[in-house]
Amino acid sequence: MTAWNDSAGGKRASAILKSRPFLTLAIVAAVWIVASFVSRGFGAYGHLRYLVELGAVIGLVAAGQTFVVVAGGIDLSVAAIVTVSAISLPLLSWQADPTGLVSVIAVLALTTAIGVVNGLGVALLRVHPMIMTLAMATFLQGLLIIIAGGSAVTAENPLVHWLGNARPAGIPAGIILWIAVSTVVLTVMHATPFGARIFAMGANPLAASLSGVPMTSTTLAVYGISGFTAALAGVLVLGMNGQGYVGIGDPYLLASIAAVVLGGTSILGGLGTYAGTIPGAILLVTITALITVVNASPGWRSILFGSLILGLLLLSGREQARR
Amino acid sequence: MSIIRSAKSAGALYWPVQAHRNIGVRALFLVVLAFLVAYGVLFPGLFTASGFGKFTQSWFPLALVAMAQAILMLTGGISLAIGATVSLGAVIAATTMAGPLGVAGGAAAVALAGLGIGAATGFIVVKLRLPAIVVTLAGSFIIGGAALLILPRPGGAIPAWLSDLLAGDTPAAFLILVVIVLLWKLYLATPLGLSLYAAGENPVGAYRSGVPVDAARVAAYAISGLLSTSAGLFVAAQTGSGDPVIGTAFTLNSIAAAVLGGIGFLGGQGTMRGALAGSLLLSLMISVMFFLGFTPVAQYVAQGLIIIGAVAIPQFRKVQQ
Repeated sequence: MTAWNDSAGGKRASAILKSRPFLTLAIVAAVWIVASFVSRGFGAYGHLRYLVELGAVIGLVAAGQTFVVVAGGIDLSVAAIVTVSAISLPLLSWQADPTGLVSVIAVLALTTAIGVVNGLGVALLRVHPMIMTLAMATFLQGLLIIIAGGSAVTAENPLVHWLGNARPAGIPAGIILWIAVSTVVLTVMHATPFGARIFAMGANPLAASLSGVPMTSTTLAVYGISGFTAALAGVLVLGMNGQGYVGIGDPYLLASIAAVVLGGTSILGGLGTYAGTIPGAILLVTITALITVVNASPGWRSILFGSLILGLLLLSGREQARR
Repeated sequence: MSIIRSAKSAGALYWPVQAHRNIGVRALFLVVLAFLVAYGVLFPGLFTASGFGKFTQSWFPLALVAMAQAILMLTGGISLAIGATVSLGAVIAATTMAGPLGVAGGAAAVALAGLGIGAATGFIVVKLRLPAIVVTLAGSFIIGGAALLILPRPGGAIPAWLSDLLAGDTPAAFLILVVIVLLWKLYLATPLGLSLYAAGENPVGAYRSGVPVDAARVAAYAISGLLSTSAGLFVAAQTGSGDPVIGTAFTLNSIAAAVLGGIGFLGGQGTMRGALAGSLLLSLMISVMFFLGFTPVAQYVAQGLIIIGAVAIPQFRKVQQ
């Protein structure tokens, strides 16, 4: 023990160095450096910026997922909600809405309501979150096929188009949106009473309830937030793609959960931070990009993706021993 | 003397314990019975040998995956890779059975794959202490990818006689299910089987009492894998060929059936007979909707609603009491 280590600043520095979010960030940096030596063009500014832009979509879905997981639940309906927003937005475009803002707000309200329904099932009907959200996903999937009929729908919404393609000051609008959302999420999670309640609820629901945490409304809020951020991701992905179709959100279920867990948040709840989810999301996009570079068959790509996630989990996602 | 007496009383305890375990699922049994009667009235063909055979064949794979999920949930685990494992079993069966390995070799390959995958998953979850949800979610990509490698598009073949035997006009599937249930009873009497509930209900307490918690949990994953690939073999026999994504729907349905059957997410709660009844209920609902002419899409919607309702109502009653 040196004197420097005993000082408060030193302790804080070493705590940061040992924390899960920092570890995930270090892995991302290491992978980027190695990959840019191995593969030409990987380390180019444009390519890295593109990766972060793709990571923004996962990061947005994972923002709500982080709230839900920290609160001790899980949301398996995020993929369906991403699809709902990407399909219903083009259908909700009105002539009297030149900026497209109204339809975006309408979609966000709709998906927040879907999330709140998830929360109602979990909090009032006492359905396990996994069953409630999986059943919701099944329900939405059926509904989407009825509404969209399997064909792709094109978005003609100026705001969505701007979000997916504009680059104010050279930074893609999607990344700016992600930074804004991240700031809000981190503030809410770590500097408000609501955030403290979520952690309390996830760590020990009974104790939280007895200490006066309003369990029902907090649960509703948490799932509502998840629906909201999933829809934000859906809007962004629609803007980047130009078209929405059934199945557009499917990749984001595993990605959102993996980003949360890779970032060091415990899947059992009560422990974690969105600060880890952010590098987790970027790490996932990086893995996907590397697998695309390898140019393997779909089967091998799937195997590589699963194995890499498992391998990374070994580095950063282990639960504490219970005995 | 005292040992004999206690053994005797243990024997006498068996039926009261079983009756006590039935309490939670009694309502479910009644609902299943009501559905069965309604189904029998709507479709009288159920009471012929071939009608009964066909009905049990549509239930059989769901019953197997429900058992596969239930055994994990009893130990406090879960698998989101059941669907992918079913697909893998189907493609292995479809590519090996018509080849030089023959039916016996193919069945052995299917069983080994299931046991191996299950044991590996169990090892990663239990020994490396990774959360089961995430491991099996990542595992579903690996297993699904392996299925795509073995058979990139639907194809392969199952010998016609095997398809006739398993999915023909005989109630063979039902008999196999009876055998599997008897084997499950036997397994529960082995040391590993006895540890199953203890490992799920209170892992730390069980460990300190000398229960082989880790071994019981890894064995549960291995058996779960075996049941899943066997379900895949049966599905391949039903369709006569293999399809690398045929099992996808079984992941949700296995969890739904187990939960309908009263298996708890926290481990140690529920019974296998409940899970089987849950899978029968789900299978009946799917058949009835099919016969009533629901489109697959409307089936999705109805299934989502029914699962939430069926899970919520008993919970709701419990809260009110």
